[in-house]
Amino acid sequence: MKRGVWFGLAIMAVVVLLVAVLMPAPAEMTRGHLGLLMLALIVVAIMLGFPTAFTLMGMGMFFGWLAFDYDTQKVLDLMVQRTFLVMTNDVLISIPLFVFMGYVVERANIIDKLFRSLHLALSEVPGSLAVATLVTCAIFATATGIVGAVVTLMGLLAFPAMLRHGYSVRLSAGAITAGGCLGILIPPSIMLIVYGATAGVSVVKLYAGAFLPGLMLTALYIGYVIVLAKLRPDLAPPLSEAEKRVPAPAWAEALMRDGRSLPIGLAAAALSPRGHPGAPQGEVWKMLIVAVLPLATAVLVMGMSYWGFAERATQLDAEPDLPTAIQPLGEATSGTAEPAPRAPGGLQEPPAESGLEQEQAGEPQPLGGVQEPAAEDKPQELTGGGMALDPAEAGGAPQALGVQAPPAAAGQGQDAATEPHTGWQIPVAVIAVVLAAILVWFYWFLDWKHLEVGWMLLTSFFPLTVLILAVLGTIVFGLATPSEAAAIGSVGGILLALAYRQLTWGRMKESVFLTARTSAMVCWLFVGSSIFAAAFALLGGQALVEQWVLSLNLTPIQFMLLSQVIIFLLGWPLEWTEIIVIFMPIFIPLLAHFDIDPLFFGLLVALNLQTAFLSPPVAMAAFYLKGVAPPEVTLNQIFVGMLPFMGLQLVALALLYAFPEIGLWLPNYLYK
Amino acid sequence: MQRLLLFVDEVSAYVGKAFAWLILALTFGITYEVMSRYLFNAPTSWAFDASYMMYGTLFMMAGAYTLSRNGHVRGDVLYGFFPPRLQAGLDLLLYLVFFIPGVVALIWAGTDFAEYSWGIREHSSVSADGPPLYPFKTIIPIAGALLLAQGLVEIVRCAVCLRRGEWPSRERDVEEVDVDELKKMVSFDDREIELAAQALREREQTK
Repeated sequence: MKRGVWFGLAIMAVVVLLVAVLMPAPAEMTRGHLGLLMLALIVVAIMLGFPTAFTLMGMGMFFGWLAFDYDTQKVLDLMVQRTFLVMTNDVLISIPLFVFMGYVVERANIIDKLFRSLHLALSEVPGSLAVATLVTCAIFATATGIVGAVVTLMGLLAFPAMLRHGYSVRLSAGAITAGGCLGILIPPSIMLIVYGATAGVSVVKLYAGAFLPGLMLTALYIGYVIVLAKLRPDLAPPLSEAEKRVPAPAWAEALMRDGRSLPIGLAAAALSPRGHPGAPQGEVWKMLIVAVLPLATAVLVMGMSYWGFAERATQLDAEPDLPTAIQPLGEATSGTAEPAPRAPGGLQEPPAESGLEQEQAGEPQPLGGVQEPAAEDKPQELTGGGMALDPAEAGGAPQALGVQAPPAAAGQGQDAATEPHTGWQIPVAVIAVVLAAILVWFYWFLDWKHLEVGWMLLTSFFPLTVLILAVLGTIVFGLATPSEAAAIGSVGGILLALAYRQLTWGRMKESVFLTARTSAMVCWLFVGSSIFAAAFALLGGQALVEQWVLSLNLTPIQFMLLSQVIIFLLGWPLEWTEIIVIFMPIFIPLLAHFDIDPLFFGLLVALNLQTAFLSPPVAMAAFYLKGVAPPEVTLNQIFVGMLPFMGLQLVALALLYAFPEIGLWLPNYLYK
Repeated sequence: MQRLLLFVDEVSAYVGKAFAWLILALTFGITYEVMSRYLFNAPTSWAFDASYMMYGTLFMMAGAYTLSRNGHVRGDVLYGFFPPRLQAGLDLLLYLVFFIPGVVALIWAGTDFAEYSWGIREHSSVSADGPPLYPFKTIIPIAGALLLAQGLVEIVRCAVCLRRGEWPSRERDVEEVDVDELKKMVSFDDREIELAAQALREREQTK
């Protein structure tokens, strides 16, 4: 046997001995001590390598029996109740669905195309191959959440490519292993569901909270690679010109030779009835779509911003109406029976129509502002109302002026009355000019490579990103529960696989069977741990731990640091599932004493457990990469390569700790 | 002997795989429910019950299948380095100490639980006309029994390994990370690795 094994066994023996020494004599042993004994034993038992779910179940049953004073029936009831609770848990139900989505997407063979298109698209960036690797990993790992598969696939696709381009072994290995683990943090991740189910924190909030920290970590990785490649080009040499180029087919060259720009040539070729000689019509249309897309996007952005600003302006214009509407009502002793005080303005139209009129006067936005209660929230807008009241003796006058005047005059009339709100045309104009400039610049430099890469991105990067964002968006904006979004995401994944013609019966079967096994693994662990946790609580172990921690008189910061260090250390011998389901129930009740938000704590834990995937010597990612790497690459090189990325994870952890807003801003903004 | 082991494996796998297909029903069922809620404005009252029942049945019945493929998470920091005999010895001990009592208790308790539910013809109380709960509760003893059978087979495996010093073979099944399959999927050419290795060697020489 290796020396390491003896070392490990010795540590376990020491733990058992320590427990035996520290425990009071059996006679004075309270139930709380039994609980602590149980906790120490479970760590040792897990290290022995028996399937954790059943270790927890068996030990939970035994100690539960002690806690119930040897009442067998009560323990049996407890076990089955706990099991049934897991079976009907409406949070855990999303686990098989997200796992299924991951397997389906993984088997759609998108990653190959994704990496190649990103590699070409990013060819100008320093360290482009490593950056493309990280971006590919971030997207693919987020969609699938399967660390092993992502690292293996990237080890096949990106690792040889990077080595052949003269990238350093360490940087290449670090980028792949670090990138492959991003899916654990970036939602929709299984880890956050497990935490949410254990800690009783809303998964929706966790997803909203983990989104920005996940992006931040990705950005840190990418920034590090770019800076390193800039400073030390020998570690990540730039691609040669030949590698950056994408050769245009002959017909495309011919299109451009006529002196026309590429888009116009494409359009002409697409629209001419006979097509262009030698140009396959399908290809032409494909490229034309890509060429037109930026223009369409620009128009859309323009329309949206125009609409947005105009709406804002009409709201601002409309707001003074409410106070003025109230004012006459206050004076309503004058005896007007009409509820609509706009009548004094001498208007024939009912108020609803005045809105319509104004819409025609240049603002393409249905004017609901008059009735909007939002106006009540902004009493400061009263100043506008005051101004409006001055020139006209009755309330609705400025409004009326605007309604009756033709568009040009309306502008003037509003200028006089509500000057501050007409400024909205200026930013819109600025946006228009900027967009136009970008478009001109874009089409000026547009060449074949852009179109080709654009098409590749359109068929690999965008579908996956849209799938992820759609799943996340429906959850975060409350349109669907996580399980519903996961189901829709799985259907999306199936459609994606269909679209890529990768959905075979065999792959479907594999995905289904793997889903069953992974779900059974996680959920049986929950069955075991909930029995265990119940016994622990019954014995009063929890109370003893609480007493002890409180007696330490820690400040919240000290407690936070201590707990994160403990979790980090546990990440070495244990899997994240075990850490969360066994140890979170002990930490979570303590949070209230220190006034720590369990949501925030969860984000820190998720980020923290990420580092466990990269910390030698147990980092699984390294072994997966080693499995497909050339024999010249040693495990040590991979470990050393992971270290800087692990450092960045600690930086991210510190940043999140120092600025909790990174994680809490989005959930607070959305749900408070 | 080996044939008996593989037979039980096969039964576990067959049941697990059969119930695994529930994931498709779950996926499309929930999707349909969301669509009917948003598009036709007609939510189904039993959708919630149906979905957790499918989820619960799915993972409970896959427990034995997962065990037969050695798929339950285990702390393998040390375990992985143990020689097979020590692995088998520890496993055997812990199967007898934790697994057998735990699962037997689960079957026992689950039988009472389901029996009671059958006795009162229990229906779900999530909605007014909730579906019956007793078949769902019966899943607990059934899944437990399958797990127990598989556990006994695993114990025999441990004994065989203790005697022979190597683990008896298991049936091959789809793996989460199957390098050969993944290579085939991305149509990977093994010369790529050779080229990369060559590049590495050249770099070593120029240094």
